[in-house]
Amino acid sequence: MSVRSRGESVLLHMTAPSREDFDIPAHDVGPRGAPPQLALVAGLHGNELNGVFVLSRLASFLRQVVDGGRPGAALLGRVVVIPAVNVLGLNVRRRAWPFDGTDVNRMFPGYPAGETTQRIAAAVLAATVDAHWRIDIHSSNVDFEELPQVRLFEPDDEERAAARWLGLPVVLERPVTPLLTTTLAYAWKTTGGRALVVQAGYAGSLQLPHCERLFTALVGFLERSGVLVGVRLAEADHDVHTFGPRQSFPLISEHAGWFVSRLEVGRWIQAGDLVGSVYDGFHGDLVAEVRSPVAGLLAGVRRQPLLCEGDLVARVLVQDEMSCLPETYLMGHGQ
Amino acid sequence: MPIQRRHESFFSLALPYRERLVLERALIAGGPGPRLAIVSGIHGDELEGLYVCHRLAARLDALLERWPEALRGTVELYPALNPLGLDTLERAVPIYDIDLNRAFPGQAGGLVPHRLADAVMRQLAGAALVIDIHASNIYLREIPQVRIARAFEAGLVSMARSMNLDLIWVHEASTVLEHTIAHSLNASGTPCLVVEMGVGMRLTPAFAEQVTTGILHVARALGVLHRDVELEPIEHRPLVADDNNVHYLNAQVSGIFVPCVEHWIAVRRDELLGRIVSPLMAQPLAEVRSPCDGVLFTLREYPLVYEGSLLARLMEVSP
Repeated sequence: MSVRSRGESVLLHMTAPSREDFDIPAHDVGPRGAPPQLALVAGLHGNELNGVFVLSRLASFLRQVVDGGRPGAALLGRVVVIPAVNVLGLNVRRRAWPFDGTDVNRMFPGYPAGETTQRIAAAVLAATVDAHWRIDIHSSNVDFEELPQVRLFEPDDEERAAARWLGLPVVLERPVTPLLTTTLAYAWKTTGGRALVVQAGYAGSLQLPHCERLFTALVGFLERSGVLVGVRLAEADHDVHTFGPRQSFPLISEHAGWFVSRLEVGRWIQAGDLVGSVYDGFHGDLVAEVRSPVAGLLAGVRRQPLLCEGDLVARVLVQDEMSCLPETYLMGHGQ
Repeated sequence: MPIQRRHESFFSLALPYRERLVLERALIAGGPGPRLAIVSGIHGDELEGLYVCHRLAARLDALLERWPEALRGTVELYPALNPLGLDTLERAVPIYDIDLNRAFPGQAGGLVPHRLADAVMRQLAGAALVIDIHASNIYLREIPQVRIARAFEAGLVSMARSMNLDLIWVHEASTVLEHTIAHSLNASGTPCLVVEMGVGMRLTPAFAEQVTTGILHVARALGVLHRDVELEPIEHRPLVADDNNVHYLNAQVSGIFVPCVEHWIAVRRDELLGRIVSPLMAQPLAEVRSPCDGVLFTLREYPLVYEGSLLARLMEVSP
C-alpha cells in the first residue's frame, strides 16, 4: 500500500483498456509506524451504498480528530478505512466487478498474479491483514432490508466481546459454509486476526437511519477498543441480542404476486402476527396473508414487491433453537 | 419394447405476473437398460450444450430408424436448466444473481435457485452417467475437454478417455466447487462428467459433432446402446492435464488482446502468442509469449482485457 497524500494511500493501481488508469484508494489515519488497530472495509459490492457512505463520513470525522478539529478527542491507534473496493462497480452501480461479472467477495484470499478480481482481493487482504480488528461492512441485496447486525462465523470469545462493542441490536453467529471460504471475512479468520461482518439495510440506495446507527456503532467500537478517546457518541450495549445459527428463521412464501409489508425491521413480533400480504400479480386479488409462525425479532423484511414462489419475505430471530439450519441455503445474496 | 419419446416438464414455479418458470426434459426410452443424462444451460450464457442435445437427438433418431432395438436403455436430455438466464442472456439465475452451479444439491423449500437444483438432483439420481455440458464463458474459447475433480477421478477418467475429447483435466479440490452439480452428483453416487467446449453465447458446430460422437460411444460402452451399434470412429484421443502441467497466462496490462496464433496448436517456449495494444497508441503495450512448450487449449475470444484477464491456458508438453 503506497502513501499518496495526507492520510490517503493506494491499495492498487491498475491500467484500464480504454479509460485512464484507476486506483483503489484508502484512508490511513492516526499514528504511523505500527500495524493498524482497525481496518474497515466496505463496497466489496458496488451497489451496497450504506457502508460506503458511512465509511467516507467516518474518514472525514477521523481526519477532523487528527487535525485537532474535535477538542479533547484523540486517535491513539492507526485506522485503515477502505470505503469502496469495487470502485468501478460503485460508479456504474453494480454489485459485481463490471468488466467480467465476478463477485469480488468470492475471490479471497486472492492472487497477485491472477485474474483482475483476484488481484483486487489480494491487495485488500494485504492492506488489512496486519490490523488487529477488521470489520467488513455490507448491505443486503436490493430486495431485502436487514436490521443493522453483526455477523460472526464460528467466533472466539474475543470476537464475541468485540461484536458487542458495536452496540448494534443483533449479533448473529453463523456456521462456516463452503461459499464463505472465498470471502474477505474468512480470509481474515485464516490469517489469525479478528474478523467481524456488519450488514445493514438494503443495496441500491441509502437508508439514513441505518447509516446513522452504523456511524454511531463504529465510533463506539473505536472508543471501546481504546483507539479513540475523548468522544462520546455511542450508547451502552444494553440492547444487544445474540442469536446462534439455529435461531434464525427464514420465512419463505409459497405464493407469487405482489408482496407488501408495513412492518419495520427491528420490532418484536408474536407467532401469528401479520408480516405482509400477497396479491395476485394480474387479478390483484388477495392471495395470502403472510403470518409469522414464530415469535421473535423481525431482523429482515422483503422490500422488493415482485414475489416469486419460494422467495424470502422475512427473517425472524427466535429465542429457542430450531432443529435444522435453514439459513445455510439462503446465503449467496448480500455479503 | 417400442421406442418411447416424451417431452415433459418436471418442475414449475409461479413468477410474480402470470408466467411460470418451467424446467423441461426429453426422454428417449428403448428398454430397461441404463440411463444416460445430458444436462446443459446451467449458465444462461452457454449455448453449446443445447445444440449438442439437439444433435444427439437427431443422431439417435437416424440410428434408431435403421435399428429400433439398438436403444437398450434411456437417453435423457435436460438442455436448459436455467431457462430464465437463457431468456435474458444472463449467466446466473436472473432476479437472484446466484450462479446455479453454486447452488447444488439445493433444497426443496429453499430459494428459487436451490429449488431448481433440488428438482434437477431428484431427476438425475440413479443415472448410469450424467454429462454436464458447459461452454466456457463469453471471454474464453475452450477445446472440447472434460474436467474431473481429483477426488472422483477413479472410474471417470477411463470413461472420459473414450469420449472423443481432446483433453482431460484432473483438478484439485476447491471448497466452493462443493456446490456444483457435478460434485453433488458424484458425492451422492451418480457419476457425472463435466464437459467444457467452445465459447459462451456462440455455437461451434464442429465441436458439437465431435462431442456428440463421443457421447454415443459412451452410451454404447454403458449399455444404453446395443454393443453392436456401429458408430463413427473416435478421432480424438485426449491429453491428460493436471494442475502441475497447466500454465495460466494473464494480461500484464489492460488493452486490446490480439492473438497471432490459432486455438489448439502446439507452441514453443517464448513463442509469440499475441499482443496487447492500445486504441490510443501505435506501439503495442505488451507482447504475450508462451511460458513453455505446450498446447494452447484455452484462448481468449473477447478482445478487451484488464490487468489479470486470462488470455490463454497451456498444457506443458515435452517437445
